Amino acid sequence: MQKAGAKRRFPGDDSVNEVSQSPSLLPAEFLLRIEQVTKRFSGLTALKGVSFGIRRGHIKALIGPNGAGKTTLLNVISGLSKPEEGHIYCKGHDLLTMKPHQIAGLGISRTFQLVRLFTTNHATVMDNLLMGAHLRLKPSVAKSLFMRGSIRRQEREVCEKALETLKFVGMEWAKDYSPSALSFGNKRLMEIARALMAEPDVLLLDEPASGLNDAEVEEFRELLLAIKARGLTTLLVEHNMKLVMDIADEIIVLEFGQKLAEGSADEICCDRRVIEAYLGSDYSRAGRGS
Amino acid sequence: MKKNLFIGLILLAIALCPPTLGRISPYNNTVLILVGIYIILAVSLDLLVGVAGQISVGHAAFFAIGAYTSGILTAKCEIPPLVALVCGLVLSGLVAWAIGGAVLKLKGYYLAMATLGLNAIVVKLITGFSSLTGGASGLMGIPPFNIFGISLEDHSHYYYFVWTMVVLVMSGSLALIKSPFGRALTALHSDETAASTLGIDASRYKLHAFIISSAFAGLAGSLFCHYMGFVAPSDFDISTSILLLVMLFLGGVGTIYGAALGAAFLKLLPEITYQFHDYELFAYGLILILVIIFLPRGILGVLKDSARLVMKKRVQSQPY
Amino acid sequence: MADISVLLQFLFSGITMGSIYALIAVSLVIVYNVSRVLCFAQGEFFVYGALTMIGLTSVGVPMPIGFLLTLLIVGGLGMAIERLLIRPIRDASVGTLITMTVAISLCLRGLGLLVAGREAHPLPPFTKGEALSVLGAFLPIQVIWIALAVIVALIGIWLFFEKSIYGLSLRACAENRLGASLVGISTWKATIFAWAWGAALGALAGMVIAPLIYVQYVSGTMPMLKGFTAMAIGGLTTVGSVIAGLLLGVLEAYTIGLVSSEFADAIVFTILILVLLARSYGILGSSEDGGM
Repeated sequence: MQKAGAKRRFPGDDSVNEVSQSPSLLPAEFLLRIEQVTKRFSGLTALKGVSFGIRRGHIKALIGPNGAGKTTLLNVISGLSKPEEGHIYCKGHDLLTMKPHQIAGLGISRTFQLVRLFTTNHATVMDNLLMGAHLRLKPSVAKSLFMRGSIRRQEREVCEKALETLKFVGMEWAKDYSPSALSFGNKRLMEIARALMAEPDVLLLDEPASGLNDAEVEEFRELLLAIKARGLTTLLVEHNMKLVMDIADEIIVLEFGQKLAEGSADEICCDRRVIEAYLGSDYSRAGRGS
Repeated sequence: MKKNLFIGLILLAIALCPPTLGRISPYNNTVLILVGIYIILAVSLDLLVGVAGQISVGHAAFFAIGAYTSGILTAKCEIPPLVALVCGLVLSGLVAWAIGGAVLKLKGYYLAMATLGLNAIVVKLITGFSSLTGGASGLMGIPPFNIFGISLEDHSHYYYFVWTMVVLVMSGSLALIKSPFGRALTALHSDETAASTLGIDASRYKLHAFIISSAFAGLAGSLFCHYMGFVAPSDFDISTSILLLVMLFLGGVGTIYGAALGAAFLKLLPEITYQFHDYELFAYGLILILVIIFLPRGILGVLKDSARLVMKKRVQSQPY
Repeated sequence: MADISVLLQFLFSGITMGSIYALIAVSLVIVYNVSRVLCFAQGEFFVYGALTMIGLTSVGVPMPIGFLLTLLIVGGLGMAIERLLIRPIRDASVGTLITMTVAISLCLRGLGLLVAGREAHPLPPFTKGEALSVLGAFLPIQVIWIALAVIVALIGIWLFFEKSIYGLSLRACAENRLGASLVGISTWKATIFAWAWGAALGALAGMVIAPLIYVQYVSGTMPMLKGFTAMAIGGLTTVGSVIAGLLLGVLEAYTIGLVSSEFADAIVFTILILVLLARSYGILGSSEDGGM
């Protein structure tokens, strides 16, 4: 998909980060490598030559003004949208050749900006989580009809795991509720829990903290750290700067579909380009915090 | 789990009741056989429409494939009915497998129209290949069912056979929807995009649901042709497919029991209202409209809500 | 060896039926583009147009008046259906909307059965006269009326949608419902108007073809399916649907005549499925996510 003769660019080439990104860097450092991704929608270029990597176990925040292409990038990574150019590597596979369910099978889970919950046929929160465990269960017609015994055992295990995951996000009380009865913040938590059921290595979160009040954001911050402690790698699209500056190991800034800057929180809020485009002068002198 | 066993036993008891009691006339026996066949048919459609969420307005096509396969094999090739029945089931499933991959990529109105087109094609093909199928006037001389030579010509015997199939199909379907497979279908029914990001291969699961659904419909078709002794294309056209949808919605989509309820209701109702035969079409349309607007969960929904109300009142009236 | 008059005969019957498919396709397009609902019951409007006209003329109403009255009656029926049955479930899922229009079709058909019975009803041609003979092929005068109907309908649609403020507001709705409502266009009025148009066009198709075929209460399904095929081929546009409808009619006529009359319908519907698949794969031009 790359144009012939284009110079191969390595992740972090444009980075403000001083550590040199030499080609000999072990690929294992970057669990997810986005390279020169370009996505066009009939005339509008939503993403242009975006390249970066996410280190294993890191929380990487993706920030930028509305329309910068953040959700588009998540859609491209999760396979819902195919870019015109570029590659995305994870565990040795190029995600662009894979379908969304295969990408999920690789260990990449996501949430959505406008939560997408399963509510048909009276699915409960518990059912949603069990659906999240699909990859583990590998269901089939034959199994369902003829191997009832082993299914029963699997179901028990998965139910236990679901309860444990609900507890992890603090939602065990909601297990028999209909998802539509939950508050928006709780719906988000449920969606995260559901994504965790797939036992992913990479979690893509699309504006999970929007609409939460300060106390809720604080709880959510704890959850993000707990997820990190479990060894997951997170790509977090967020607008909440306080949360981002506080928790992100690395930040990447997009504007008009292009990478504007990439680096640690300190570096980003001192980056003149970012300040001009996005953050506002509050951050330029004071550094972190508001 | 225990609750389901209980319900299953009740179903079985109901199923075995009438002929055993001996009080049933041969005519009513015949009606109940037809009810059983349509229950299988409606339940098969429910798997596809109610659980997997794929609109099909052409399900009668597979009913036809099962019926004609069985009919032709037994009437013209003298193949034992049991073998022919399996052939009908398998052929329906095979056709679904062959076309499902492509057709299920369609959604919404396109899918609905494609299924209509399929139904029309099957009917036209049956009518067209008249040397094989008897054409528009139908396939005649289908022998009654027999299992290894034991004839089920007596309708009360065939009744047991058909209703055993009903119980098998229903319990199989219920097992499917409560299993992880059924959950995957519900997930992709609800939101195919989100389901795919959880690792659910939508096209594969939709196809499997389609194959099972069509195979069950083929089974119903095989049972039907032996019951009737003769089948004609008009039994399998779009109006039959639409009738199945009415049954589904009337009973309660996606619940399997609802489909059975709807099928039983709409097959027994004409027995009471046979004088108003011409009003049937209009009545079915009206029923469907009313159900969509006022009773989206169908009769089963109403029953469940009433049961819940009764339970509540019971709890409330408990002495302290 | 088919000679010119036979081939021409097929062409004429192809254009005749093709015009009907074209009209029905256009009616589906208008309703779908403005209200995002595909009306399954379109075939029933077709039948009702014919039956109403037959009923009115049989009680002595002069044809031209009967013609206009039928358009008004069936158009009104379309409006009533939209207002009473479609609007309440506007926000329901596609599956529910489809089932509702199927239900409406069933209801209308049942009503047609009750009123008109199972018999096929004829309508006398609009003008009396011997069929014209063109190079040995027969061209019934009614076909001229059919062609006229299509042309007049297209002109009417063009005038309405291009030149009148009402038409422009319908087009605005078709393009961007939210935007249209934000600039003060009543999307409800536009939708109900579109349904009136759709039903009236269906009725028009029924009326003009009734003298050539015997219309029964079940006669609506095939034209509706074939009209939909034309719409799918034509790409949800008026002009495309007309051209596709005519082509489909001609193709069907030649298939019936030269290939096989029994399997002509099967061939047409196979084309339908292939076109739908091609559209969803974006081959013949895109359609929103694999289906409407």
